[in-house]
Amino acid sequence: MLYFWKKELKFFMKNISFLWIVVLLIACEPDDVCSENTQTTSRLVIEFFDIGNLENTKTVGGLFAVAIDPQGNELAISGEIVSSRDKITLPLNGTENQSQFKLYNNYSVVNDVIQGNPDIITVAYSTTPVYVSRACGYKNVFNIQGFSIESDSDLWMINTEISVNEVTNENETHVKIYH
Amino acid sequence: MKLQMKMKPMLKYTTSCLYFLLVTTFVFSQSETIDATPKTATDSIVFQDKYGLRFGADLSKLGRTAFETDYSGFEINADYRLGKHLYIAGELGFEEKTTKTDYLDASAKGNYFKAGIDYNLYNNWLGMENLIVSGLRFGVSQFSQTRERYTVYDTNSQTWSQIQNNESMEFSGLTAAWVELIFGIKAELFNNLFLGFNVQLKARISEKRPDNFENLYIPGFGRTYDSSKVGTGFSYNISYLLPIYKKARVQKQETKEDEEALDE
Repeated sequence: MLYFWKKELKFFMKNISFLWIVVLLIACEPDDVCSENTQTTSRLVIEFFDIGNLENTKTVGGLFAVAIDPQGNELAISGEIVSSRDKITLPLNGTENQSQFKLYNNYSVVNDVIQGNPDIITVAYSTTPVYVSRACGYKNVFNIQGFSIESDSDLWMINTEISVNEVTNENETHVKIYH
Repeated sequence: MKLQMKMKPMLKYTTSCLYFLLVTTFVFSQSETIDATPKTATDSIVFQDKYGLRFGADLSKLGRTAFETDYSGFEINADYRLGKHLYIAGELGFEEKTTKTDYLDASAKGNYFKAGIDYNLYNNWLGMENLIVSGLRFGVSQFSQTRERYTVYDTNSQTWSQIQNNESMEFSGLTAAWVELIFGIKAELFNNLFLGFNVQLKARISEKRPDNFENLYIPGFGRTYDSSKVGTGFSYNISYLLPIYKKARVQKQETKEDEEALDE
């Protein structure tokens, strides 16, 4: 019985132990810590363009943003500092289906009084939790439904355009603001 | 705590290394013993080898069920001797395991079945029935997973707040299949009663994943890894041999030469 392949079988079974060592060495790698390189919940990326020349980006001088919670209170955005730039990233509130931000043009504080021109923007979206990995759990993916500027007497933003609806990473611009 | 967790796989690895060394020494020393036997022996020695059905249970799973709060499991095993070295073997079991990470709590629960062959590498002295087992298995599992909790991973959650979902969600009808290499020992403690230890290396062939989730633990297969389809396991088992018939093992010079030829 099984005579003709007896030799091969015996050889194979004896060498299984070698295979063990090799594969164990390969298999030993940690994946219980969420790596910083993993794309998790992404922020909203807004880029500023020139209203005179729609193709070109235009820097906003002294740009600064604060978040406004559903009760109307201002919240500081972590990592947000005053600087002149043509791009801003804003974290969206995953527990609500919209987030509000106050964006200042030429922000400064003189004698405890805030100077600059604030415009309030509202982003409406739907939120979907998407599985990432055992260590990172889930991330939120936002689908932008609407983007609006609250009207006031002195708006520095003139027009807006949603360029990418799905907020999955921070390498692309989701909303364009013309000023 | 973190250090201990890291130590565990390392310990497993070291133990398997030890077994490997132990076993190779055995194999080599065996062939030497054969060489040393005087070639003048002409008489044949006849001894009856026991053939039959061996069945038993996994002690390690019983132990873990008793001492680990997030684990319960049970496994019965059986093998049937086909030839001098070859056995057909199989395991049937149940496992329930809760996996907890910083961002996720989930438990898997289900049954599994493994079938394959065991090959005895050990050339016993006459009248002894010990085994150094090298085995191959094909395993299948049918299970369900329940996601108890998750936290949305958001590096910018300081602005708003961290979002946690405590809604329990069950994903049922999940399946997985894998192949498995086994390496271990079985020693006859008393007449027909065996105590064994083995380590298992598994490679997943297929699995049915839940929607928007993954199989963190597969009953019978063990925990999964992000980057590979490899799994590991071990077992301490106790088994009883029910002898069905006896077959003569003839130890004569011809056989020895045959074996030497096979051993190369």
